[in-house]
Amino acid sequence: MTGEALRSQDLRKVYTSRGAPPVVALAGVSMEVRRGERVALLGRNGAGKTTFLKIASTLLRPTSGTIEVFGFDVSRNPEKARPYIAVVPQEGKPFFHLTPREQVYTYLRARGIARETARARTEESLERMGLLEFADRLAITLSGGQRQRTMVATVIATEAPLLFLDEPSIGMDPFARRDVWASLRSLTQRGSTILLTTHYLDEADALSHRLYIVERGEVLVSGTAEDLKRSVGGTLKVAIPGGAREVERFRSFGSCVADGEHLSVIVAPERLGEIMELAVRSRLTATVGPVTLEEAFLRVVGRSINEE
Amino acid sequence: MKSSELPPLASVPFRGLGAFLWTEVLVQAHENLAMATSMIVQGVLLVFVVILAPGLIGIALVGAILFSMFAMGQRVLNEAAYIRIDHKANDLYLAGPLSPEAYFLGISLGILVVYLTPVVLLGVITAVVVPLSVEVAALLVGLAAVVWLFAASIGYVFSTFFRDNRAIWAYASLFFNVFGVLPPVFYPFARFPPALQPIALMMPPSAAAAIVQHALGATALTGAELALALGSLAVETVGAFLFAIFWARRSVRGD
Repeated sequence: MTGEALRSQDLRKVYTSRGAPPVVALAGVSMEVRRGERVALLGRNGAGKTTFLKIASTLLRPTSGTIEVFGFDVSRNPEKARPYIAVVPQEGKPFFHLTPREQVYTYLRARGIARETARARTEESLERMGLLEFADRLAITLSGGQRQRTMVATVIATEAPLLFLDEPSIGMDPFARRDVWASLRSLTQRGSTILLTTHYLDEADALSHRLYIVERGEVLVSGTAEDLKRSVGGTLKVAIPGGAREVERFRSFGSCVADGEHLSVIVAPERLGEIMELAVRSRLTATVGPVTLEEAFLRVVGRSINEE
Repeated sequence: MKSSELPPLASVPFRGLGAFLWTEVLVQAHENLAMATSMIVQGVLLVFVVILAPGLIGIALVGAILFSMFAMGQRVLNEAAYIRIDHKANDLYLAGPLSPEAYFLGISLGILVVYLTPVVLLGVITAVVVPLSVEVAALLVGLAAVVWLFAASIGYVFSTFFRDNRAIWAYASLFFNVFGVLPPVFYPFARFPPALQPIALMMPPSAAAAIVQHALGATALTGAELALALGSLAVETVGAFLFAIFWARRSVRGD
């Protein structure tokens, strides 16, 4: 097992079906994930995140380009890469007629993990994901969030060298999401590498060492969350409801984004007093907060991450 | 554990079969109602035979055993498609060290283990009603296993073609009932239209039934007919099984 955890070069995927025009899902994606990193693929629905993850996890053939997992060519020798990976599929569900404890344990056994180790990891994983209370209830009786937690518990218990998680915290409450984040941080501290897709900007911000913003099958930008936020041109965001009408008066302070009647202005801290004064003089209310990935995403993609 | 400390793992055929089989047994065993209702078609047909032609009950019981094994293929089709489409279990399990052929056989054998209980009960009733010699009983068990292997293989392969469970229910039921009930499985081979008899001998459930009926002395097959039935069973079962193994490996990755 050599090389980076994952490296892709000019990876393309075009879906073709009879009677329909071809759909370009990946238009030449090159990226790398170093060992021990947590990397997020960030993008709107249909951006190509899941397609990339499916190819990387040996479940989909690429149209062209190369992709390697720990130095193994995933296109040519997927069976060599498989022992080193585990995946939480998008919208995957545990077996409804297994309990979370049975699900995690039998999955580990099916991966060839010894009984004692599998038992210990099952309990640890259930505890981390807050599932001990429900561990012996059939999954069919669990809520959607509890089922998703079971899926994540199943996969993190493998401690596989490379974990792929496709929207891992979807449907979870804020506490469960934080449990997932803590577990993933702990896994990378122990040597695993994580590539996840998400369209939760706070998740990408809180969790990833680096992130790639993907749109229409292309990587538009990559870097740390801090790099991306800095690229917006300021560190503070002033939100001015009803300010869109006065956008010209605020433009000199920094980049302005109007969303309906609402105006957001990115400003440097030294100009904060000035812009607040102008807002008051214009009889507008204004609130100040830190720049988030949302602004960075809007600047890079030109659309909100939730926009279809 | 650091990733660099992991031992190199080779891709091993049938790796993980035992554990995944056990997973499927647990899943299936929780569905008691499905197990109890797995004998409905056979039970209804046996009732008809008892009322309409009680002299044929022995043949019908043998047919019911063979049909039950064939119908397990329908369960493999339904289960494999359901856990792939609804649960994405194939993504979870196959993007890992579990071998694709172990996944296919795990589903098939798990269903067999759980649904064998009612078939064994049927076998006990058959042994009481029909005077089976040890040789004929062994032949019946062997042919039942062959019919199961054929049905499980084609069931798994077909399961990979569907994107919607609703379509599967209709086609699977039609396919398995037409090929398992219509040909001479529950009734004497000799009563099937002579022009269509070679076709029946090339279909695994009716070929197996004809061979057992011949062994019981209830049907007289010629040497050529016996050869056709045995040859078809062997070729089709081995072919279906090998193709299912190939297809299980091929279909891990989508296009």
